[in-house]
Amino acid sequence: MSLLLKVENLKTYLRAGNETVKAVDDVSFEINKGETFCLVGESGSGKSVTALSVIQLLPQDISQHPGGKIMFDYRHNDGHREQVDMLHLSEAKTRMIRGSRIAMIFQEPMTSLNPVFTIGDQIIEALQLHNPEMSSAAARERAIEALEQVKIPNAADRIDEYPHRLSGGQRQRVMIAMAMACEPDLLIADEPTTALDVTVQAEILRLMKELQQRKGTSILFITHDFGVVSQMADRLAVMRLGKIVESGPLNQVINNPQHEYSKKLLASLPENLPRDPGLAITKSNAAPPLLDLKGVQVYFPIKKGVLRRTVDHVKAVDGIDLQIPKGQILALVGESGCGKSTLGRAILRLTEPTAGKVHFNDSDITALHRKQLQPLRREMQIIFQDPMSSLNPRLTIAATLTEPMKVHGIGDSKEERLELAKQILERVQLEGDFIWRYPHEFSGGQRQRIGIARALALSPSFIVCDEVTSALDVSVQAEILQMLLELRKERDLTLLFITHNIAVVEYISDEMAVMHGGRIVEQGPTDRICRNPQHDYTQKLLAAVPRVEFNH
Amino acid sequence: MSEITKPAQRQQRSYAAQVLREVFMQWGARLGVFWIGLLVVVAVFAPFLANSHPLLLSEQGEISSPLIQYLTAADVTLLIIFFSVPVLYFFKISFRAKFGIFILITIVAAALCHATISPPRLSIYDQYRDNQQAGVYDWLITAPIPYSAKDYLRDEGDTGLEAPLAADERTHLFGTDENGADVLSRMVHASRIALSIGFVATGIAMIIGTIIGGLMGYFSGIFDMIGMRLVEIFEAIPVLFLLLTFVAFFGRNLYVMMIIIGITSWTGYARYVRAEFLKLRQQEFVQSAIACGLPLHSILFRHILPNGMAPILVAASFGVASAILAEATLSFLGLGLVDDPSWGQMLNQAVQAATFNWWMAAFPGGAIFLTVFAYNLIGEAMRDAIDPHLKKSAN
Repeated sequence: MSLLLKVENLKTYLRAGNETVKAVDDVSFEINKGETFCLVGESGSGKSVTALSVIQLLPQDISQHPGGKIMFDYRHNDGHREQVDMLHLSEAKTRMIRGSRIAMIFQEPMTSLNPVFTIGDQIIEALQLHNPEMSSAAARERAIEALEQVKIPNAADRIDEYPHRLSGGQRQRVMIAMAMACEPDLLIADEPTTALDVTVQAEILRLMKELQQRKGTSILFITHDFGVVSQMADRLAVMRLGKIVESGPLNQVINNPQHEYSKKLLASLPENLPRDPGLAITKSNAAPPLLDLKGVQVYFPIKKGVLRRTVDHVKAVDGIDLQIPKGQILALVGESGCGKSTLGRAILRLTEPTAGKVHFNDSDITALHRKQLQPLRREMQIIFQDPMSSLNPRLTIAATLTEPMKVHGIGDSKEERLELAKQILERVQLEGDFIWRYPHEFSGGQRQRIGIARALALSPSFIVCDEVTSALDVSVQAEILQMLLELRKERDLTLLFITHNIAVVEYISDEMAVMHGGRIVEQGPTDRICRNPQHDYTQKLLAAVPRVEFNH
Repeated sequence: MSEITKPAQRQQRSYAAQVLREVFMQWGARLGVFWIGLLVVVAVFAPFLANSHPLLLSEQGEISSPLIQYLTAADVTLLIIFFSVPVLYFFKISFRAKFGIFILITIVAAALCHATISPPRLSIYDQYRDNQQAGVYDWLITAPIPYSAKDYLRDEGDTGLEAPLAADERTHLFGTDENGADVLSRMVHASRIALSIGFVATGIAMIIGTIIGGLMGYFSGIFDMIGMRLVEIFEAIPVLFLLLTFVAFFGRNLYVMMIIIGITSWTGYARYVRAEFLKLRQQEFVQSAIACGLPLHSILFRHILPNGMAPILVAASFGVASAILAEATLSFLGLGLVDDPSWGQMLNQAVQAATFNWWMAAFPGGAIFLTVFAYNLIGEAMRDAIDPHLKKSAN
């Protein structure tokens, strides 16, 4: 196999204000023709910056390359080949290579297409730019072909659609079609499936593999997800703090990691976390239900016309019956838009349910007046997904933690409440002195701990965890999950764990409920469902989950 | 709940401090703040800067201070408020407590001063000059500009419309107006009106706008419908014509002007606040505040409002500028205050005289320009500081 890309001792420094960040620090790797090379790492490890350095897309005024080489095997249009160093290439030549020989797919399909042009226009523009002799009709022909390759149904009709008419998965297909239209030698995919649902992710990954086999394209695949790596990679490199700590063939790194960091990262995967099977609370050994939902519906009206009459409803949650016994962790699983978060909020009446009953500890929450609900608020808490927006940026942690305590009459004096707040922070493995800080002084994982601390401050018996680990790195996710399990044991908590991540569900939950289109399609003990799913949708969902293939 | 005092050794700054620092990094904002600060000092110390009453005089060995005797209640109130700020700054209490105490001092000082201070009704400005020429005084110390705003120098004969430094026996740095009063002195005293109309009118507009906008944004639905219609109605009112009508019916009153400018310009703030509340209501920290069962006032004023304040303050600094312009326009049209000095009124005199008197146009016009420009610079800098997109591209 011949070499396509060889990165030698690449250094990329970014300037932020007066500071220089060594985003990529002495990184070397090579990619052969036709292979997939994965760069794996947690956020801030420099994997995206490495990719952007290869394609030379970093803003020049804030980035510099003090050292290194990026040798690319440049195939000219007439067929002859030339070794070029991407770092020392004229802007004109870089532009020639970019798009035609090296193409890129980005993470966020919602913003990576220009909304004012049709998808056809965008593909045709790229085609004609790199093949100036191509006629408009031929380019259109090629664009339709490219869309067919990525399995857009009725490509000939849909080529004139605007991006907003396509779903997230379809947009990502269009991005791939656009990237592949010029038949590049190297495709850089920067977390191309992170924003997508698992079933869509599975389709996109399959598609990328197919295209690669047909065209012999090399792929530089960037991801944080070992499941995806396991599906895609021929070889991989693990990055940390701008350096590659370990690289090698897929099997070798996954099954026999050498470096401490890779070992730690792999051990943090929910599949590999040590579990305590004795704890599982299922129907058989369950206490009476703490939470009992009967026919809960949340409809959002669709209003039309001058008089804003309600013409139809969006049935976000469409008749849910669910019981959660005391002390159980119930996982609510589903893809985006299935209504799982809305249900979580409806239980706490953050969104008013349109119909149905929510019984908590024998009191009907849906029937209570705002004032009567007040004392019950203490019993039920929620932890949110996004650690950036879940804390009030203008309040110190002390204020965030003690204000609810004061409202609910916990602690007699300010000093006592502050002391309690410190204890809770220490319980979530942060320093007590952190209470004097503001949220922006913390990392994502620390903020999520503070979010948990706020929920615990009122010593509730029931907590809704809404995608609490989705925005976190695996190692942080592992710590948070373990902490939640400890807290459950310690405080006899009941958790409704809303997530789309099946591996996390398998690790943490006793029972799981699968939601689809506002309804629960299957419910039961987690083990049973994962091993032997009954409903079609559950089967499809579980099959789509990318698994890490360990040879244990 | 009570604010918690922070230990002094904290290294990281709060968001507000960061924004302030960002604002003052720009020299435009520094210039703006410098000019406004200068105006504030001039406005507060106006009687000490420009006054026909001597600061100190000795009459046959007896020392007296007519200037202090003739200080009005408003003068003293302003002085008290001005000096309370640095005193409060050094107290180790929370910003909110400081703000509360400041408001309290303002109200108490205003009430006390109006009740206790009554300067002599009649002021005869000529007497000092006459007495000095007659040699009655042993010595006297005058203010830097020894003419009051309403001292028309009747004893000096016809002094109307003298160009700057034209007269030999008197110094008028900025010349005199058509009544013979010193222009610089009138401008110094007029700075009070310019500043107060800006602050009070904008303050009224901000309060109304925040309340209505907040209700619209937080409760949405029917509140939003009614609120937006109200906004549209108020936006359809032409402020200048309303002001003209009011002045025609109710006479010329500074406070009426402030209130009218205030209650017709809240709509912009309401729109800003509504948008912020709509956005912030769905934010997770607000949702968890609701989930914690916090009372409504805490959710609205502690969790939502401070996070949505930045764009309102930016709008306010532009609002102050436009309120000053509105007052200047009215005065220019001859509908401002009758006898009290105002920059716009001086511009009016500049165009009414038979000949063009440049000093009557240049100095007050320049002051209006600089003040409006200063507020715009500050607004601009604040907008840049709170806008992450602009900040990124600036780097």
